Amino acid sequence: MTLRSRTVAIGLHAVVSLWTLFVLLPVFVMVISAFKSQAELFTRPLALPKQFSFAAFERAWGIGISGFLFNSLLVTALSVTIIIFASSLAAYILARSDRPVMRWVYVAIVAGFAVPLQSVMVPLYQLVSGAGLLNSRLAIALPYAAYGIPFTTMLFYAFFLEFPRELEEAARLDGCGRLEVFFRIVLPLSGPAIASGAIFQAVFNWNEFILALLMLTKSDVRTLPVGIYGLTGQYSADWPALMAGLSIATLPLIVIFLLAQRHFVRSLAGLGK
Amino acid sequence: MSHLEVRDVVKRYGQLTVLSGVSFAAQRGEFVVMVGPSGCGKSTLLRSIAGLEEISSGSVSIAGHDITAAEPSDRGVAMVFQNYALYPHMTVAQNMGFALKVARRPRSEIDAAVTRAAEILRITDHLGKYPKALSGGQKQRVAIGRAITRAPEVFLFDEPLSNLDAALRSQMRIELSRLHRELGATMLYVTHDQTEAMTMADRIIVMNGGNIEQIGSPLDLYNRPATRFVAGFIGSPRMNFIAARVVRLSGRTVGLSLGEGRPLLDLEFAPGETLPVLGDAVTLGIRPEALGDGGEIHLADAEVAVVEALGRETLVYSDAHTLRTTDSESLDGYFAALVPSQSDKRPGQRVSLRADRSAFVVFAADGATLHDASPVHHE
Amino acid sequence: MPLPPTPTITGTSSARRPALTAGSLTATAMMAPALILIGVFILIPAVVAVIGSFFDFSMTSANWTYVGGDNYRRAVTDPLFWLAISNNVFIVVGSVISQVGGGAILAAILDRGIRRGNVVYRTIIFMPVVISSIAVAFVWMLILDPNVGPLNAVVKALGLPTPRLGWLGDPSISLWMLLLIAAWQNVGFQMMLILAGLQAIPREHYEAASLDGARGLKAFWYITLPGIRNVLVLATLITVIGGFKVFDLVFVTTGGGPANATQVLGTYTYTQAFAFGNMGYANAMAVVLLVTAVLLGWLQVRLSRRA
Repeated sequence: MTLRSRTVAIGLHAVVSLWTLFVLLPVFVMVISAFKSQAELFTRPLALPKQFSFAAFERAWGIGISGFLFNSLLVTALSVTIIIFASSLAAYILARSDRPVMRWVYVAIVAGFAVPLQSVMVPLYQLVSGAGLLNSRLAIALPYAAYGIPFTTMLFYAFFLEFPRELEEAARLDGCGRLEVFFRIVLPLSGPAIASGAIFQAVFNWNEFILALLMLTKSDVRTLPVGIYGLTGQYSADWPALMAGLSIATLPLIVIFLLAQRHFVRSLAGLGK
Repeated sequence: MSHLEVRDVVKRYGQLTVLSGVSFAAQRGEFVVMVGPSGCGKSTLLRSIAGLEEISSGSVSIAGHDITAAEPSDRGVAMVFQNYALYPHMTVAQNMGFALKVARRPRSEIDAAVTRAAEILRITDHLGKYPKALSGGQKQRVAIGRAITRAPEVFLFDEPLSNLDAALRSQMRIELSRLHRELGATMLYVTHDQTEAMTMADRIIVMNGGNIEQIGSPLDLYNRPATRFVAGFIGSPRMNFIAARVVRLSGRTVGLSLGEGRPLLDLEFAPGETLPVLGDAVTLGIRPEALGDGGEIHLADAEVAVVEALGRETLVYSDAHTLRTTDSESLDGYFAALVPSQSDKRPGQRVSLRADRSAFVVFAADGATLHDASPVHHE
Repeated sequence: MPLPPTPTITGTSSARRPALTAGSLTATAMMAPALILIGVFILIPAVVAVIGSFFDFSMTSANWTYVGGDNYRRAVTDPLFWLAISNNVFIVVGSVISQVGGGAILAAILDRGIRRGNVVYRTIIFMPVVISSIAVAFVWMLILDPNVGPLNAVVKALGLPTPRLGWLGDPSISLWMLLLIAAWQNVGFQMMLILAGLQAIPREHYEAASLDGARGLKAFWYITLPGIRNVLVLATLITVIGGFKVFDLVFVTTGGGPANATQVLGTYTYTQAFAFGNMGYANAMAVVLLVTAVLLGWLQVRLSRRA
């Protein structure tokens, strides 16, 4: 290697390393701050805590994080399940039917993809409150599912186009009806698409804020993001407890991301086509 | 009564007609092979019989039942696919027993059927494996086993050997023939490979452009092709096709000239055959094994252009300037002769192209065979 | 978000499709859950938002008063509406430069320049994408806090001046801080998208080009750039749409302040609707966002179809 190309290589490494450090720093601050006392946070903001104290976690847990965590798990699991079932079924029909009406179905799904949640918050709020479903964790899973379906349907659609038709034909000859072909052959072999779709939507719904802000007004039904947001009014000065709460809200996703990175990146790359 | 009967089947996709009124029947226990170039409609016909395609008109019946509108699984057929189509998430045994499981048959019956099929195909050791652990040949056996467990009236094969390498393919051909004998089942087999058709079939159906060109036993098709298309498709190396013109008519004898006015060839045609008229362009067909430097008729002088040693025999391509071909797949003036290996031909050598009168087949301009008066010689 | 190809509904490929006749009722039933959810929670509310923008009503009352185009006229003369729009545009332009530009640079380096540690870098840089914007907002509020924040501590230690009103409290700085935080969170997403595009370019193209004498910048110009053009367009559109939709981050960090300096369409619509109860006016602004997003989405479909 020449001296020049060596310098270039070091320069390139430096750029990437600097951005990597910049990305890590806030995460680092969040985690170490959660183990500090209020005073230590103030005096030594960037240092590791002198001793790792779980006091902030206990405070956070005590003022509601445990309930938020449960609510988030419930809402996310429910909405992701609905999304996977509804999207895979719709995408399968879309990929296998050649009836002209499917063009309109596709347009409806794409349109659903383009509408920003922020632009319908007033009618959506009135719809949900009018139906008496404010503060229902089960009810909020439905709009969550609705907003996840267009993207996931298109993900499954691309997957099903590649799915070998012979397997479905063999199953039809073996006596399966349309639903049986789907549930006994197609769905069990859609693991990669299910994983990509589920992880993507789990992250999205776990983090969702606006809908939760509008519809979950009581503290005991709130999910993590809006629950923590609600707490900051009362406990504004308690940074360590806030950071502890955010760590609890964030770390599960980071762990899932690290374990299932492959699927996450696939749904990104697959749809970039 | 025929076991499988296909009557006037038409299949259209919008403007495109894929099958234009196809009819044939297969007897119980018969091995029928459908052969033809890609796009000829043979796969569509097979899939229509399986119920995977809806036909535009016509009817299909199996064992006396009209199954034109039946669900694929209610037709009494089983199908072996080109790409095996084994369910990747099921073991070999589960793959083979799936149809019976869907039909909610008792466990013991499923096990018995799977065990028996596995024994016939000698795959008992692989029953617990998943398809991805199997070789191509083993996968194809499992696919066949899956068909056997269903004990269908008719087995359908869609180019099942085309994904295998040459050695395995010839071995599987033998296996399939053995299987057909042992099971005594009616089988309908689609392929584009005329060797498979010739070696396995009781009867061959040659298809072209959505129509049946000819149905017959392998040797029938070889010796008495009904059309130029069949003559070209069946037999390897391919038949030579020489352009000719009718220059003389007397009674049932037709005088043909090849190339530039000569040589003249007199052929007598069978009574009842519609004779060509003076000036008609016709095609003279000669199989490579019938062309050589011996024989009653001298066709042309030629120069050896290419010599392919095949081992037992040698294929000699000679360039005869005076002759033209009507075959779009051959070069003008190049004609193939299959000669014994010891004949020692070299490129550049002068040869005389000769053949016996009985070896000629004449095709009219529309491709139909004109049968000659002399009884066709049998091999 | 990117889109997969449109389905070929007519066409010759139908030759391989199994017959559908028997299952059309089943097919409708299989389609129903998705279509009902999309219809009830997305499409119908969108239509209602458009209708509602011509009425005046409050959150609690069922009385809708028809006001024609008043809500839109009000928006045109409302300086805060224009401030919000201009802030959105600022964020859009800044995000395209920082996020698509930064993502492209990082992707290019990771694709060709660096072999060691590639996966580690990629993983870490992408990580913020999975963190909720609420968490991102609060952590950055701590970092930028004028009293306890580490940034102030560091800047002071270097002997440099710190903004008197705080990094988020100073109207001349706060928008830039939002850009920085948004870049922190989203550069990884763009990097991955562009990296996937770069890696889809066959290596043989570079080899063929180098045999033809095109290396370095020439190869970049003739091979790389045409190869990722579509991905770059897609990344830009995603960023533009995201810039118009921005809400969580602004809502939590500044709430649109100080003194409306960081107000964007999303937060201003929310404020008008749920703080002031001007539902009709909020709807009119929501429709502006809706139309913008649908137009951009349509463009995205058009472009990805051509790709």
